[in-house]
Amino acid sequence: MINTHFLNIELKSPTVLASGILGLTASSMQRVIEFGCGAVTTKSFSLDWRTGHKNPSIIPFEHGMLNAVGLSNPGIDEMVKEIRLFRRQCTAPVFASIFGRTLDEFGEVTRRAAEAEPDMIEVNISCPNVHSEFGQPFGESCPDTAKITQIVKKHAGKIPVSIKLGPHGPGIGKLAKICEENGADAITAINTAGPGMLIDINVRKPVLANKTGGVSGPAILPIAVKSVYEVYRSVKIPIIGTGGITKTGDAIQMILAGAHILGVGTAVYYEGIEVFDKLNKGIENYLKEQGFDSIEEIRGAAHE
Amino acid sequence: MSDLMQTFPIRRIVEHGPGVKSFYFDKIFNVEAGQFINLWIPGLDEKPFSVSSITGDQIELSIKAYGPFSKEMMKKKAGDYLGIRGPFGKGFSFHDKALIIGGGIGIAPLRILAQKLKEQNNTFISLLGAVTRQEIIFSSWWDSLGQRHFTTDDGSLGLKGVVTDVLPEILKMNDIKYIYAAGPEIMFVKVKEMIDPTGIPYEFCMERYMKCGIGICGQCVLDGSGIRLCVEGPVLNKEALSGITELGMKHRDASGRRV
Ligand SMILES: Cc1cc2nc3c(=O)[nH]c(=O)nc-3n(C[C@H](O)[C@H](O)[C@H](O)COP(=O)(O)OP(=O)(O)OC[C@H]3O[C@@H](n4cnc5c(N)ncnc54)[C@H](O)[C@@H]3O)c2cc1C
Ligand SMILES: Cc1cc2nc3c(=O)[nH]c(=O)nc-3n(C[C@H](O)[C@H](O)[C@H](O)COP(=O)(O)O)c2cc1C
Ligand code: FES
Repeated sequence: MINTHFLNIELKSPTVLASGILGLTASSMQRVIEFGCGAVTTKSFSLDWRTGHKNPSIIPFEHGMLNAVGLSNPGIDEMVKEIRLFRRQCTAPVFASIFGRTLDEFGEVTRRAAEAEPDMIEVNISCPNVHSEFGQPFGESCPDTAKITQIVKKHAGKIPVSIKLGPHGPGIGKLAKICEENGADAITAINTAGPGMLIDINVRKPVLANKTGGVSGPAILPIAVKSVYEVYRSVKIPIIGTGGITKTGDAIQMILAGAHILGVGTAVYYEGIEVFDKLNKGIENYLKEQGFDSIEEIRGAAHE
Repeated sequence: MSDLMQTFPIRRIVEHGPGVKSFYFDKIFNVEAGQFINLWIPGLDEKPFSVSSITGDQIELSIKAYGPFSKEMMKKKAGDYLGIRGPFGKGFSFHDKALIIGGGIGIAPLRILAQKLKEQNNTFISLLGAVTRQEIIFSSWWDSLGQRHFTTDDGSLGLKGVVTDVLPEILKMNDIKYIYAAGPEIMFVKVKEMIDPTGIPYEFCMERYMKCGIGICGQCVLDGSGIRLCVEGPVLNKEALSGITELGMKHRDASGRRV
């Protein structure tokens, strides 16, 4: 496997489980690690538990997936327990994904999450499917992005922080720059795109209970590659390139655009949990065939 | 098979008694015994249900009125459109000289199992229990399949009592090579205590809160093993079950809390 350094963290492979996929419990995350995943990201959690939206909340379509889970999570107490349990059972790095309803809540969740000593805190300011409740995602506003980055950095102590951005708003390159200027250690790009909608033609109603939901999977790969490309041009901090990675070629494109490590979510549906092993082997083969010794040699190569 | 959401009309409905009905749809896909589908009532919710039989060119779902979703189902009429995604998960394996143990509406996936076992000339004994008679769905059909034992809490059908009252006797009197179970987890935990010492292998069809049904959301993952019940289950064998630390204990709700 390809050992990877990222923010002073050692990963056994460059593929990382994206937030919201199988990241609710220690048992679940440990199983993903057994399939070659380099690090796991927890489901995004908040101070209090949330039931999320009603079902259907996750539906595949021909080219991807639509989800409006609605940030359901068991709350910080349960999640801190699960992170600690994971730590005891497994040596692989774990990233705690957090969110808050208000700017202050981001600080409080970070402070509490830091107690579980995750290897990184990922800050979800870009979930597109809680609009009706939270309004415009914080991550689509430059001032809010700056403030949240500052607050989170203040409470995270020595734990590195990655801000997770979406493809929408005032420009992902600009937003990433703001995160960097305010102390972010990394950028995760991207969250789901949209939101989008699918309507059933017989009952003539939107299929998702929430009506709209974030789009993920193969459909968003070009948007994700372009977003990572823009972020790479605009900042020096490393990027967790996420969005639509299913096959080896997708992963390579992300690296060529500038990704440091790779977030993989929806592909677990298309390829099974084995997707991590498959991608790792695929990347290794590509490097060998093309005559490279490491990922570093091709990172950002599309910019040259 | 289609993981995508599609809607289909209910073709017909059979009422077994107050609050227990079977619903029939065109056979839109092939299904293994024990697999489930996600059923969507537009505007309300989506929940997992076992396919309870394939009858001619129709698939059957058997539902007991319980909470908001299943009560709404009782109001549905033939011709109403409902969403179906699936079939999902892994079903039962087939063995001869089997014992089928079911509790309540958990009988649903055992009906299609019995159908398939019979098709392949496997012999089996059935032991079905419920609170009251209408919950033992298709009781006269089970009669026609060979040796069967019914128990009801109120004595309205078969023996007054629960399945574990008669299980030891059945095990003693018969040469049982494989056991299948479905129904309330507390029933299974008691059954398990009785059958573990015999060394007879078994499979149990389990339930957990589900969202995606396709192994993505992590909602149905079992503590201890990390098994995704919607993909690697809902039918689990003895080995898979032995790795689970939450059997008979608190389950996760929609938020992921144990309640
Ligand atoms: C694999 C599987 C197969 C099932 N097969 C059948 C069947 O053949 N016939 C049948 O009548 N019922 C079946 N169920 C149960 C069914 O999905 C519903 O839980 C049940 O109808 C009660 O829902 P409700 O809204 O009416 O009641 P509620 O009051 O909402 O729920 C009652 C209980 O059902 C469970 N539950 C609720 N929502 C879900 C969910 N989304 N996923 C899983 N469990 C949930 C909870 O433990 C809850 O305590 C099955 C469940 C699973 C997981
Ligand atoms: C079902 C589902 C749930 C998700 N939940 C979260 C979440 O809680 N927090 C978050 O930051 N991203 C969440 N995401 C977004 C993913 O982490 C990822 O950014 C996005 O899906 C794009 O990557 P993919 O195409 O590989 O899935 C979720 C995605 C899906 C499909
Ligand atoms: S219901 Fe989503 S993983 Fe099983």
